[in-house]
Amino acid sequence: MRHKRGGIEMEGPDVPVAPMLDMAFQLLTFFVLTYRAAPVEGQFIMNLLPPQPATAMAAAATEPSATNELPASLRTLPVFLRADDQGRLAQVTISESDVTNDPKGLAEVLDYHLQDPDVPFDQTLIKVDPELRYSELMSIIDGFTDAFIRAKKEPKLSFDELRPGDGG
Amino acid sequence: MSGGLISKTKAEPNLTPLLDIVFQLITFFMLVINFAGDNYDQRINLPDAGSARPVEDDSRIAEDRLVLNVDSEGRLLRKDRAMGIDEAADEIRHEAALVKLGLQSTGVKFDPASDTLPTTIILRADKETSFGAVLGIIKACQAQGFRKFALKAMIRG
Repeated sequence: MRHKRGGIEMEGPDVPVAPMLDMAFQLLTFFVLTYRAAPVEGQFIMNLLPPQPATAMAAAATEPSATNELPASLRTLPVFLRADDQGRLAQVTISESDVTNDPKGLAEVLDYHLQDPDVPFDQTLIKVDPELRYSELMSIIDGFTDAFIRAKKEPKLSFDELRPGDGG
Repeated sequence: MSGGLISKTKAEPNLTPLLDIVFQLITFFMLVINFAGDNYDQRINLPDAGSARPVEDDSRIAEDRLVLNVDSEGRLLRKDRAMGIDEAADEIRHEAALVKLGLQSTGVKFDPASDTLPTTIILRADKETSFGAVLGIIKACQAQGFRKFALKAMIRG
């Protein structure tokens, strides 16, 4: 290989590029074949405390916390989700009133509860039928998270098992 | 180049730009390839959720997490095995013991009655599984002191 440097023609060593290119193409083929596009996964981050005994919850309901004037029970929006035989969402009860299952209707009710300045709700306890499909629960959690964001509040969600007699 | 009496011109293609491009492609694929994807079991069909937050790629968080895959039958998938709720509870107890051992070695005292383990449970449950099965896993985690949970979902476009 000839190079011109400072007007002098110099003879340099011939570096064989072809083997390097072969190797590079082999590596490239390996990476192209093993590449798998990562799925776009998201997450809902929650602090889930274990369920408290009924006596402890009753005590907490009567005693105002140090940081808030209202006790936790009055700031918590109670939600009950019931499933049908197939595990699909059959009934949504929010604050003792039944709500339509469609996302738009749910969003309207949640906006009413969370955006009203006279209503003190800033967290939600969702009691869920154990037979309910996980995908149905996630769609409800999705709706609640959206509603909290629209109301400019930090989403505080927790859930527990729905027991017979809960929610009327 | 010359050879003998007849002067021949040998075509020498310039391979350097080609090599540059190939090396750039190799670099790209090396960076985006995910060899540590073993935790993300492809058998799990995650539910969809539009408001799920994107996962933060933080190495500190990556260290303090335990990924639990739950299949459509409500079984915990760990180490290529499907575990029922009792076996799953034992597995979670074992993982919690390892975390507590790690805390002790760093001089942190852990009170199981009041303290929270710093590990985040990454829960990847199949969309067809029942809430009861997922709750069983969550309760088994809570019983061992885990409080931080991240419920995984696919972000809708």
